[in-house]
Amino acid sequence: MLEVKNISKSFYKHEALNDVSLHVNKGEVFGLLGPNGAGKTTLIRVINRIIQQDSGSVRFDGNLMTQNDLQSIGYLPEERGLYKNMTVEAHAVFLGRLRGLSKADIKIKIDYWFDRFNINDWRKKRIEELSKGMAQKVQFICTVLHEPKLLILDEPFSGFDPINIELIKQELIEMKAAGKTIILSTHNMKSVEEICDRVALIHQSKKVAEGKISELQAERKLGLYAVRFRGSMIAFVNALWTGFEIVDKTILGDDRFEVSLKMRGDNSFDDLLKVLIGQVQMEAAWEMLPSMQDVFIDVVQPKQEEVNNA
Amino acid sequence: MRNSLLIAMREWKERIGSRSFVLMSILGPVVVLGMIYVLFALGSQPKQHWNVLIADPAGLMENKIMAGKDISIDYSFADGYIETEEFANGKKYQEFDALLEVNEKVLTNKISHVFYRNEPSVRMQTRVQYYYERRLEEILIKQFTDLSLSDFRKIKQPITVSFSDVYDPENKASDLSGWVGFFYGTLIFVFIFLFGMTILRSVSREKSNRIVEVLLASASPNQLMVGKILGIGFAAFFQFVIWTVVIGFGLYFMRENLFPDLLDASNMNIQQLTLNAADATYQESQFASHEYNKFVDLIFGQVQFVNMTGFFLLFFVGGYLFYGALFAAIGATMGSESDGQQFVLPLIFLLFLALYSGYFVLNYPENTMSTWLHYIPFTSPVVVMVKLSQGYQPGEAYEIYMSFFVLLISAFMMMAIAARLYKNGILQFGHRVRLKHVFKWLKKN
Repeated sequence: MLEVKNISKSFYKHEALNDVSLHVNKGEVFGLLGPNGAGKTTLIRVINRIIQQDSGSVRFDGNLMTQNDLQSIGYLPEERGLYKNMTVEAHAVFLGRLRGLSKADIKIKIDYWFDRFNINDWRKKRIEELSKGMAQKVQFICTVLHEPKLLILDEPFSGFDPINIELIKQELIEMKAAGKTIILSTHNMKSVEEICDRVALIHQSKKVAEGKISELQAERKLGLYAVRFRGSMIAFVNALWTGFEIVDKTILGDDRFEVSLKMRGDNSFDDLLKVLIGQVQMEAAWEMLPSMQDVFIDVVQPKQEEVNNA
Repeated sequence: MRNSLLIAMREWKERIGSRSFVLMSILGPVVVLGMIYVLFALGSQPKQHWNVLIADPAGLMENKIMAGKDISIDYSFADGYIETEEFANGKKYQEFDALLEVNEKVLTNKISHVFYRNEPSVRMQTRVQYYYERRLEEILIKQFTDLSLSDFRKIKQPITVSFSDVYDPENKASDLSGWVGFFYGTLIFVFIFLFGMTILRSVSREKSNRIVEVLLASASPNQLMVGKILGIGFAAFFQFVIWTVVIGFGLYFMRENLFPDLLDASNMNIQQLTLNAADATYQESQFASHEYNKFVDLIFGQVQFVNMTGFFLLFFVGGYLFYGALFAAIGATMGSESDGQQFVLPLIFLLFLALYSGYFVLNYPENTMSTWLHYIPFTSPVVVMVKLSQGYQPGEAYEIYMSFFVLLISAFMMMAIAARLYKNGILQFGHRVRLKHVFKWLKKN
């Protein structure tokens, strides 16, 4: 769907992107992660042809991207703006037309989206009369109005309350189900885990990781397992004996515990289950994978330290 | 182009929907019409009333002045010599505004002096001379002919000698008509600067509220800039049309209803004037029209509105594109909305430079500097208007087209420069404007 190849971009002496390549498959939600100032927004602007890269190429549906391809893209920038003295409806019509829709099409789509987001009462309101969250909704609608094949959303959840975050998240999930491709740049790692299929991590203008979420998590797993059970803690420790090492424990109350532990020797998850069954009343046991937050910190932090040391 | 048009339409709707646009569309022409009315009306009102003392030691006038009451002058007679110093300072003369000395030899040497305290208007001078002349005429007729006064006036045929420029017999190039050109040029610049500042503010607002990034994802910076200049230009043009129509109707209304007699050519006929001399009311209108007919004649007679308006539109469009691109470029380089204030002063300086150029050419049309100012795109819109109203010499009409060509080429060059600054500067915000950045943006493709 989208292939970014060896993109570099500098602003005067500052290098914003250094040989960044990545590819986004059709129908997937692709997370673009990285700390502030890493170069994510610059990359998104290059993809949207807002700024010109110094070198490298962007391919859309197999061909070099052109101005016309922009009509197939919906872009929600991080720093959003609307014309304050236009009405909500006029704004939607203007941006819809700019993206190639006819007036009749726009009307149908506006009716659909305004109903869906329950904002029919706002049609004739001026943007300046809206709250920040309301304006964000209008902006989101304007971004998806022309039913783009590729959606690029830069921090789409910022400024929303939890209810609206959930609303937007559900929309994205539905769009994904409908076969749309979505690039999502966000710091909200929970959302990344929930909706992204694959991610790329950009740090200090370079891509430092790319892959499926499960792969990235697996690469950084520490061999930790967790068990939740009901029973005696002494019986649990005795059952483990020397084959396993307890790392942490949490008392859940009413003789319920959650314990995280590591394997010793060649012991496996199966062995763990075998020694525990019959000794305590098992509720759940699972392999502990690092959260995307952990992966993010793990990738960014050492490099940060390297920089600091240097 | 489609995107540019869409952006232009949005700008146009926003402008014509704004309160300031509506206000300017109504107030602007009303103010202009009001000023014209005041100029007309001032001319038609007798302002001065004079007490004139006629010193007539020889008793030539027999203490009489011409029949028919002159409402603005009271005449008194003294039958001795009055020294000017005595008249100036003497208590008993303080009530008089002027002293008319009737020399004993006036019938032969035809010279008289009037000493005034405050300089009289042209009209007042004409009146005093007119009444005095008529009285002397009576005396002469009595002394040297057997004719009755009315017979004499029938055979007396005053000749009016009109002096005209052989190259400009209709006096199109009078100073006054030059001022009309200056007015037109000023109008161009008022519109350019009003709407140019709108471009500047609008660009910087789009930068500050970040809508520009959303727009750039659908339209190129060039389309954005062209759309903005066009849209605001349409609004400027629309407002100009409103002004023209309202002022046009206003002038027509004034001509038909408020000052109808002023435009009658016979009003200027001196023979008629003499024949109707006894009719004081009639005289009133003659004296009045004689004075301000120049202005009325200029507005309703001399100005070639069709020709001027045609070129006005061409230079309006050319000048607007040139300056519009300049304003857009400045807007695109700004780091914050308040940066615009820093640019106001140099821009006002530019405005005054252009207007002063028009004034300069008005006074020195043949100067070499005037020729330069005629072609420099910063000043040409106003200078060409002045030159046009003064009249081009035969065979020099090509100059106006050449100037327009230079303006158009400059406008496109300015658009190209602005497009570069727009492309490289439009996403930059919150920075301090530095000249080196501007040069870098200019160099960057």
